Order: sequence, then C-alpha cells, then structure tokens
Amino acid sequence: MITSNRMQESGVWTAARSRRRMDLTRIVSFILLVIITLIMLMPLAFMVTTSFKSQRETMQYPPTLFPDSLQFSNYTEIFSRLQFGTMYQNSLMIAVITVLATLLSSSLVAYGFARFRGKGRNLMFMLLLSTMMLPYPAIMIPQFVLFSKLGWVDTFLPLIVPAFFGSAYNIFLLRQFFANLPEELFDAGRMDGCTEIGMYWKIALPLSGAAMATIAIFSFIYSWNDLLTPVLYLNSADKFTLPVGMASLTSSKFRVAPWHLLMVASVLALLPIVVLFILAQKRFVEGIVLTGIK
Amino acid sequence: MVNIKRKWYQKTLTVLSTLLATTVMLSGCGGSGSSAGADGDAVTITYYTIDSPDRTFVEQLIPDFEKQHPNIKVKVATAPYEQFDSKLQTMIAGGNAPDITSHFGYGGFAEYYNKGMLLDMTDLLKESGFQADKYKIPKNLMDIYQVDGHTYGIPFSSYVTLLLYNKDLFDAAGVAYPPSDYNDKSWTFDKMVEDAKKLTVISDDPNKQQYGLQFGWGELDNRPFYFGAKMYSDDTWTNGGVPSESYFDSPESIAAYKKIFGLVFDDKVSPPPEWSASVAGQGGDPFVTGKVAMSVGGSWNLSGANDFGFNVGVAAVPAGGNDKVRSTLFVDPLFILKDSKHPKEALAWIEYLLQTDIQKQSIELSGGTPPVNQDAAEEYYSHFQSIDPKDLRNVYEGAYQYGYESFNHLIVNYSQINDMMINEMQPLQNGTAQVEDVMPKVQQKMEEILARSKK
Repeated sequence: MITSNRMQESGVWTAARSRRRMDLTRIVSFILLVIITLIMLMPLAFMVTTSFKSQRETMQYPPTLFPDSLQFSNYTEIFSRLQFGTMYQNSLMIAVITVLATLLSSSLVAYGFARFRGKGRNLMFMLLLSTMMLPYPAIMIPQFVLFSKLGWVDTFLPLIVPAFFGSAYNIFLLRQFFANLPEELFDAGRMDGCTEIGMYWKIALPLSGAAMATIAIFSFIYSWNDLLTPVLYLNSADKFTLPVGMASLTSSKFRVAPWHLLMVASVLALLPIVVLFILAQKRFVEGIVLTGIK
Repeated sequence: MVNIKRKWYQKTLTVLSTLLATTVMLSGCGGSGSSAGADGDAVTITYYTIDSPDRTFVEQLIPDFEKQHPNIKVKVATAPYEQFDSKLQTMIAGGNAPDITSHFGYGGFAEYYNKGMLLDMTDLLKESGFQADKYKIPKNLMDIYQVDGHTYGIPFSSYVTLLLYNKDLFDAAGVAYPPSDYNDKSWTFDKMVEDAKKLTVISDDPNKQQYGLQFGWGELDNRPFYFGAKMYSDDTWTNGGVPSESYFDSPESIAAYKKIFGLVFDDKVSPPPEWSASVAGQGGDPFVTGKVAMSVGGSWNLSGANDFGFNVGVAAVPAGGNDKVRSTLFVDPLFILKDSKHPKEALAWIEYLLQTDIQKQSIELSGGTPPVNQDAAEEYYSHFQSIDPKDLRNVYEGAYQYGYESFNHLIVNYSQINDMMINEMQPLQNGTAQVEDVMPKVQQKMEEILARSKK
C-alpha cells in the first residue's frame, strides 16, 4: 500500500512536472511564433499604412509606420489617375476565365492519363511533361507570330485561350491525385451504369477538392501577376491589366514614383487573392474529409 | 441509364461551350480590322510609346489630327518603360511592327540603326518637301540622326543637361545663386565644389543631414568627357556608332573619375548611394526631398518642379575642362520603322507633331516636355513658376552651344556597356576600391564588348 501510494504520488508529481515543462515549451514557442508572425506581417502592415500617406510622407526619413494624417483620397485618386477600375475589371475577368478553363481542361486530360491504359500512354505523358521545360521566352516570338496572324493582338484571347488547352504542371499534379483514388469507387460507378465522363464529373472531381483548389490558386495567382504576356499582346490603355498599369507607375523615368498610390494599388490587388485563399481553405478541409472509404 | 449518360455529356458540354462563348464575346470588343480599315480608304498607323502620362498625352491630339487628315487613323500602342524594348523586338519579329516610335526605352538610335530597324527617310523627306526650317529645328540637332548624309530620325523633343538648385537652401546658407550665363568665366567646376562645401551639413541626425551637390552629368561612361578626357575614338560619331578604340584607362580618364568619385569620399559634398536610396527610395531623386542643394542632370529633372515644395532655380553647367562640351543633350527623334506599310502617312503624323502650336500644346499636356521647335521653346521657358524664363533660356541656348548628343543614343550595344559600367564601378560608388585599380578592368571589358559590336 505504502509503496504503491508513494509510487502514485511520485507518478503524479512527475506528470505535473512534465506538464509544467510542456507549458513552458508551449509558452516559449507561442511567443516565438508571435514574434515571427509580427516580423512577417510588418511589410504588409507597412504597405497598408503607406497607402494612406501623402507623397511627401513616403519620402520621410526615418520612415514612419503610422501616417501623421490619413489621406483617404489616395483611394479615389488611383481610380482617376490610372483607369484603375478598368484594369481591375480586365484582370479579374481574365483571371477568372483562366482559372475555370485551366481546371476544366487540365482535369479532363489528367483523368485520361490516370484512368486509361493504352499503347504509348507513357510516351505521351513524357511529351507532355517535356513542355514544362520550355521557358516562356523560347515560345514567345513563335506564339506572337501565330496570334498576330490570327488577328488576336490587342484582344484578351492570347491571354485566355491557352488555358483551354491545359498546362503540363497542373495535369501532372491532378494525374497523381486521380491515380490514388480507390478503384472500388469507379467499379461501383460502373456497376450503376455511369459513363467515364460521368465518373470523371461525379466521382473524380468532387473527391479532388484539395487538388483543384491548389490549381485554382496557382493559376489565379499566375494570371493575376503575369506582366510579360499582357505587355506583349495588349496595346490600348483600356485593355491593360493591373500589373501593366502598376509597372508603368514605377517605370516612368521622368518622375519620382508615387509610392503611396502604388501601395493603394497593391492593397487592392491583394484582396482577390486573400478571398480566394479563404474560399480554397474550405475546399482543402472538405477534400480530406470526403476521400475516406471503408 | 442512357438518360444518365446523356445528361453528363450535356452538362460538361454546356460548361465548355459557355466558357468558349464568353471568351469569344469578351474578345469581340477588340476585334477591329488591322491596317487598311474598312471605312473608305482610311489607313491606320501605329504610334508606339511609353505608358506614362508625359508620353501618352499625344492621344489627346489625335482627334484634331484625324480631322485634318480624314484618310489617316492613328492608334497608340504603349508599354511600361522596362518592357519597352522587348515588346518592340517581339512586335517586329512577329510582323506586327508599329509605324512610328522613338528610342524611349534603354536602347538607343545606334542600336536600332545597326539592327536595321529604321527606315532611311532621305527620299521620303525629299519627295514630300520636308523643311527642318519650317518647324524651327536647329540644324545641329537635325544632324544628330544622320548617318553618311542619310536621315533616319527627326528630333521632336530636346532635353539638355542643366544645374538645378534649391533656392531656399542657398538663402539659408547665404550663398549667392549660381549664374545661368555660359559665358560667365568665374563659374567653374572648382567654384561649384567650393559652394557645395558651404551648403553641406554633416550631422548624425539623418533629418538634418544635407548635401551640396549631386553630379549626374550624362551616363557613367560619358562623364570624363566633361573634364576633357576622350573616351571613344573619333570614328564612332561618323560610322554609325561602332568605336574602333576606347580609352578608359588613360591618365585623363582616371583623373576625371577620381574627381567624380572624390565628390563623395574626399570633398564629402555629394551623398553616398545608400543615403540617396534611404531618403528618396529606390531610383528616386534625393534633390526632390529638399536635402540636396545642387543637382546636375538631365532637364527631365525639371518635370514636376512646380510641386517640389521649395523654390527651384536653374543655372549653367560650370566649365569643367572641356572647352567645347559642357552639356549632354538628349534629343529624342521620331523614327519610321522599316516594316511600316504607310511611311507617307507616318511622316504626316510626325510633321503634325512638330508644328509650332502643337509643340506648344504638348508642353502643357505633357507637364513640361521641352520642344525642339524653337518658336515653341519660349513657352517652355516660362512653364515653371519659381524659375526666371530668362535663366532657362540662357541655360538652353548655352547647352546647345556647348552641347553633345548623349553617347547612349549614339553607340551600338549601349545597354551592355551601361550594365558593365554600373557593375564594374559599384566598388567605386561604395568607396571600397581605388579608381586606378578598377579602370584597367573596365577598359578590358569595354574592348570585349566593342570587339563583339564590330562583327
């Protein structure tokens, strides 16, 4: 009794001690994380506060984190000075269509590669992957010749249409994902008389929420940030996308760059990506929950 | 079961076709015809420029031009400064070249000329009876873009090198304003440095720190020219920009660069690069912050001068040892590209832009582009509030008299030269190396670049 009692006591004691140690490591790591988070958030905070400064204050040394007075007019000025609304609309339209087109085309091709066996499948897949190794500048001029012969220069088509033909990286990603889906699900589908297209649409796609969300984010960010392609193909100011307009703000050789307006543009340009991340995060969780099979 | 089959096919197809239809609809708005328009015999010409308000102002002139020339339509294509050259190259390679442009990007006339991008305008000008006098273009400016008597470009705006000074800082320090007269013999480089010393305030408090002078005369490789050193052999200026020799390690060049970098590290009147970046941001101009008293540089530094928040004056670039040259000129010409299908119409647009009243209008619309038309120049001289028009006129007339077109417009492969100069001179800018040690290497690299240009 006594021994067991003592053992019990000492057991409680060590548990308490280890719990205390746990708490301590937790607190330390928590503090560390907070510090790191703050460091990471600094540039973001600086961007937001700079967007409310006057041009003169952006030049002040040492720089101020909080502006002396909030200049809300920056947010209206950007619309009058840059045709910001038009550019925003153009960028958003191109990005949304690109995302939808990429999701559709890449998943369709990936489904084929994942589910069908046939002669030359691996060869075709290798060919597909090899297109990933071509850097954009290598195809820039031939593609420009093609699109200008089609009369597509100064339209959105060269920015959108390629998305309807899939992209190797996304196809690769989705193929791996589809290949890991349990065969039984498709057998069940076949038993119920579902077609391949039906199984693609009804089984493969809903189970791939996480992968699709990843691709949506990738292709959205790519299209949203792309500078070179719109610079090459778009000529008229009313067709410009956000990156083109923002590049023009910094690259004017003859003026001091209006950093406060650039920060306004950056804050506004960031919003859709933040929204997309929040939306996609939901899909990540769903995707994991739904994949289970008993 | 068949129903299910069809349903899924249909849904997918609907989605696909909707997407395609949207795309076609969206693009439909831009699908107007390319060159020869459908309306009558109207011809469309493209003017390619930088996407910046001081350049795109020409869009506001188009309706007036099209009214005068009902058979010509002008389209403006733009790109950001950094991407200007690569887009132009792609457009030309893709058979979609613009009709008119200038060297608005990094590359200069010599580069365009040697790549065979430009139309020889000599016959076209003769045919249409073009007279430079009619547009009051000084002859020496007209000569800049001629090679062996053939004209490849017509000047339309002209920037010079001048000295800007902050009147408020001069008043506070009790220093007399520098003169705008190029014939004032007392105004020398040494006198400028002497004044700059009086205007420099060294302090640990970055807000009180103030410098006397920033010396941005021409590009890095031009700069010794100001002190009378010869950098490139004379044949460069007649053969289309291919120097047979360069002299960057000559005693004169070394002495000149010692003077230039000495402003920062010996005389301590010029700001070190890290200070400039910290007060004005990357690529910004510290003079605008009001912490630098004098700034020697291109007259584009004047644009926005009405909003600087302090009183600005202009003065002559002081005599530095070169009797003939004291000001680098940056004369921007308009080119017609070789691939243009409508050179005649393109010339009509160029001539329109050179008219006196249009050149006058352009000053206001662009926020201070210096016109090449000397009848319009008077309007430019009085454009800036705190600047006496007489001073600006003196400075411009002196600059033309002592002027030399910037090397960056005249030498082949200039972007490579410029990159090399910036990289090799980095240790000098930071004060971690001696001029004597760096220049032989610069000369060697320069020879390598020039050897490649000769081929």
